[in-house]
Amino acid sequence: MIPFDFIYCRPDTMEDAYQAFVQLQTEGKNPYYYAGGSEIITMARAGSIRPGAVIDLKQIPQCRVLSLDSEELHLGSVCTLNEVKESKLFPLLALACGRIADHTNQCRITLGGNLCGTIRYRETCLPLLLADASVTLFGRQGLRTVPFTSVFDGRMRLDAGEFLVQVHVPRKALQAPHYHIKQTASEKIDYPMVTVAALWQDHFLRVACSGLCAEPFRSAEMEAVLNAQNLSGADRVRKAVELLPQPAYDDVEGSAEYRKFVFQTILEALLEEVTHGPL
Amino acid sequence: MSYAIGKAIQRKEAWDKVTGKAKYTDDLPGLDVLSARLLTSTCAHGVIRRLDISKALGVRGVKAVLTGADCPELFGPLVLDRPALARDVVRYAGEPVALVVAQDEPTAELAVRLIEVEYEPLPAVLTPSQALAEGAALVHRQPNGYKKVVPDVYPKAGTNIASHYRVQKGDAQKALAECDFVVRQRFSLPPSYHIAMEVRTARAEISADGNVVITTSSQSPYGVRKQLSEAFLIPAGQIQVKVPFVGGGFGGKAPVFLEILALLASRSVGGKAVRLTIPREQDMASAPSRIGLEADIKLGANRDGKIQAAEITYWLDCGAYADISPYMAKAAAVDCTGPYHIEHLSCDSYCVYTNHTFATSYRSFAHESFTFCIERAVDLLAKQCGVDPLEFRIRNAIRPGSFTPTQVAVTESLVGNLTQCLQQVKELSQWDGGKGVFIKEDTVRAKGVACLWKTENPPTDAVSGALITFNPDGSVNLHTGVVEMGSGGQTNLAQILAEKLKMDPGQVHVVMPVDTRTAPEHWKTVASMTEYMAGHAVMRAADDLLAQLRRNGAEALQCPMEEIEVANGRVFSRKNPDRFIPFRDIVQGYRSPQRESLGEPVLGRGGFMLKGLSLLDPQTGKGKTGPSWTVGAQVVEVEVNVKTFTYRILSASTVMNVGKVINPELMRSMIAGGMSMGVSMASREAAVYDEQGIVRAPNLRTYKLLHIGQEPDYRVGFVETPEQDSPYGVRSYSEHGIIGIPAALANALSAAFGRELCLLPLTPERIWKAIREEPK
Repeated sequence: MIPFDFIYCRPDTMEDAYQAFVQLQTEGKNPYYYAGGSEIITMARAGSIRPGAVIDLKQIPQCRVLSLDSEELHLGSVCTLNEVKESKLFPLLALACGRIADHTNQCRITLGGNLCGTIRYRETCLPLLLADASVTLFGRQGLRTVPFTSVFDGRMRLDAGEFLVQVHVPRKALQAPHYHIKQTASEKIDYPMVTVAALWQDHFLRVACSGLCAEPFRSAEMEAVLNAQNLSGADRVRKAVELLPQPAYDDVEGSAEYRKFVFQTILEALLEEVTHGPL
Repeated sequence: MSYAIGKAIQRKEAWDKVTGKAKYTDDLPGLDVLSARLLTSTCAHGVIRRLDISKALGVRGVKAVLTGADCPELFGPLVLDRPALARDVVRYAGEPVALVVAQDEPTAELAVRLIEVEYEPLPAVLTPSQALAEGAALVHRQPNGYKKVVPDVYPKAGTNIASHYRVQKGDAQKALAECDFVVRQRFSLPPSYHIAMEVRTARAEISADGNVVITTSSQSPYGVRKQLSEAFLIPAGQIQVKVPFVGGGFGGKAPVFLEILALLASRSVGGKAVRLTIPREQDMASAPSRIGLEADIKLGANRDGKIQAAEITYWLDCGAYADISPYMAKAAAVDCTGPYHIEHLSCDSYCVYTNHTFATSYRSFAHESFTFCIERAVDLLAKQCGVDPLEFRIRNAIRPGSFTPTQVAVTESLVGNLTQCLQQVKELSQWDGGKGVFIKEDTVRAKGVACLWKTENPPTDAVSGALITFNPDGSVNLHTGVVEMGSGGQTNLAQILAEKLKMDPGQVHVVMPVDTRTAPEHWKTVASMTEYMAGHAVMRAADDLLAQLRRNGAEALQCPMEEIEVANGRVFSRKNPDRFIPFRDIVQGYRSPQRESLGEPVLGRGGFMLKGLSLLDPQTGKGKTGPSWTVGAQVVEVEVNVKTFTYRILSASTVMNVGKVINPELMRSMIAGGMSMGVSMASREAAVYDEQGIVRAPNLRTYKLLHIGQEPDYRVGFVETPEQDSPYGVRSYSEHGIIGIPAALANALSAAFGRELCLLPLTPERIWKAIREEPK
């Protein structure tokens, strides 16, 4: 039960959405952009957020795109995880989407919601970090398209009122050999203890990780070590584990030490795969 | 010929449930019903320094805000130690502190968030060891100062001990000194949650003339009536308790908890109807949970692998209030050794207060916890003796000629046949000696075995009853005080009745909701005692019914009563079965062809009171607490990755001595359900507290149960050694499937990893940690 009333607003255009946000903000309504609702509903129920208004982006055509052209795959921010998965256009992203929550929720949670929400894992970011994706945003200056990494450093860094419209993935990455492994505490459907996604592109192993640290990351230093031809597999793994960009995360689901151990075993399995050919 | 016993008939409530039409407490429409919400403590142990409800009272639509000051009464089934709302002191994080009654739920919740509380923290004790340490903070200043409801609870002044039971026979110390092999192992198991699908809920209403109506999701409608009557000095006849379907209980709905708060809420608003449904987070953190357990076990055997002696100490973590936990400590003492022949025994079982959420009965009444310890120790001892753990259990199985820990002489009828269970489970599980086998690099398969046994610990004078009425078509209605919560008791009772009346079980209609005004009193729907207690009452009611049918038949057919038979929905003379009267023509009396009225309408009634049970002797523990035992043997098979410490559970097998198979499919599914609950609890469930004693993440996002799709292959077999004194020989069976599973899982994982794992839950992380920390 959400014990308070709030305004529900469903604009048809990007401009209307942004204007509504600005207006409601001015009125002190603490507005939230709304897509699948899974986080907003559960957090409002638990009392950790109290939006006075939600702005539903699901009717905005640009946010609903799911198409492939000669250059890129375009994914609208309100595409559900299940839509992305079933499109089969980006197999690595499909794997990531297929391991977030259960099927019922995959039909509600959106790509944009998973990237922009507060739940710290944001596992759909991993394939995007690996694939040199770019994103289109709408805000004060209208539309802008920028590299994903320029607005994502573990969480989305958007301007006030700005929202995610689309994600673009270069074709080159879509069919690249890839690897995805998610280990949970025990139950298959759960937050990750550690999720590792990898992409083999231009004879180079790209690796990104969620669950291990407070925020998901892709680390150039770590990739350099993992690709170091002069080191043995065991040494690469050992050095990579020492290069965490943040301390390993510690919470009720898993200790920092254990997360590091899991990361290590996943990397070992990953490198084992690589030595047997390109993933 | 069998009419109903042994048949796999559908559950009587099956269609209501699978179509979603079954109604539960909070489904019942309520016009003009107010809503209540709880504010709970954020401090594990502390003094309430300030409690300001003024802002909450100021919210429009709020009708009342209650605090501990509004309810001086204390509650509990064994000792009165628990306030409805904390008074001055909070003893666990999650304890109800204030209750808001409002026009609707959102208003009540908003007002709850406006209540201001300040606590002055006191030191918290979070495990039995901490609670019993020298100078430990006391959870209750005077644990022996509370009023006792029953005689056999023994709180100890100046300590955190809520009760203590001692069981002794022979000379364990001396015998252990003479043993060739001795193992000693300590255990520390965390509490966990029941997680019934339906969260706890209750509603209350008081009529203008003082009649109280409580509708609740409870396993104890008669217990609700009794506790409310005694606490609030309301004559029991003025209290009506109604229980519709219950969406899972597992023991967690046996305590009287929300009913008290709902009644207080209704009283505060002039008797208006008030519903109180708690959210899942409070169902976990505030409502009673499963006990934690610490144990120290010493077992000794001689050279030929026969167990000689045991020294056992159990410390049950009952949390902040005693509830039924002292009796779980008693139950742990009564069955302390597991189902083995052990001549020399010394066992102390303590119930210890801590600043955890208070505990209550959980499927199998603490047996799932202490059996883990004893069955791990038995495996360790078998290894020392160099004997296959399953063979070791056969060698030591309890049998006629043995005595139970509380010195009850064992007979087949009383205890059943464990050896046969073990032999059968050996085949069912394709037992291979319990050693790990590499099936590929880093992957090992292994099986683990454990035994189970359990007797009951009801009040020695617990009662049950049954009423049978007829419908015009000759079918019968069965009324009992048994709650339908998924355990299938009602269906079993219908089969017992159909068999006794020699009729089609489809012609037995069961009244599912319980109403204390109309249904005869049944102690509680707990302890898997429905078939025994209510079953006896049903048999007696059927006898009563049959006698009346025979009387009517004798008059109608004009022959002596001794000649009258009743079967297949007909009354007839044994000498001339072709001349018969169908039920529909005789159950409301008989009208002769001459229109003469003969006989009387038929109404069956039967009551049953437990007999021959005793309290335990305070010195030796000698005594008999339950009518009989159920034994069984269980095997779990795992496939582990020795590198990542992850694992899959491939199969779980149980062979149980159920006495008599009343309904093979229902019994199979209940036992498989028990195994599933055991697998889930043992592999992943724990209530996790931080250092301040605040429970971490009490929600289903992080507290994961075993889900469909990850279930192992469940295999169930039956042994039918009857219990002479029970209807058709059936034994208690419905909760028992859980008991040995945690131990069998740990035994299997220990074999697979080649390390002794004596902890719960067995998550990959905890296994990794245990193996990393253990010296090779």
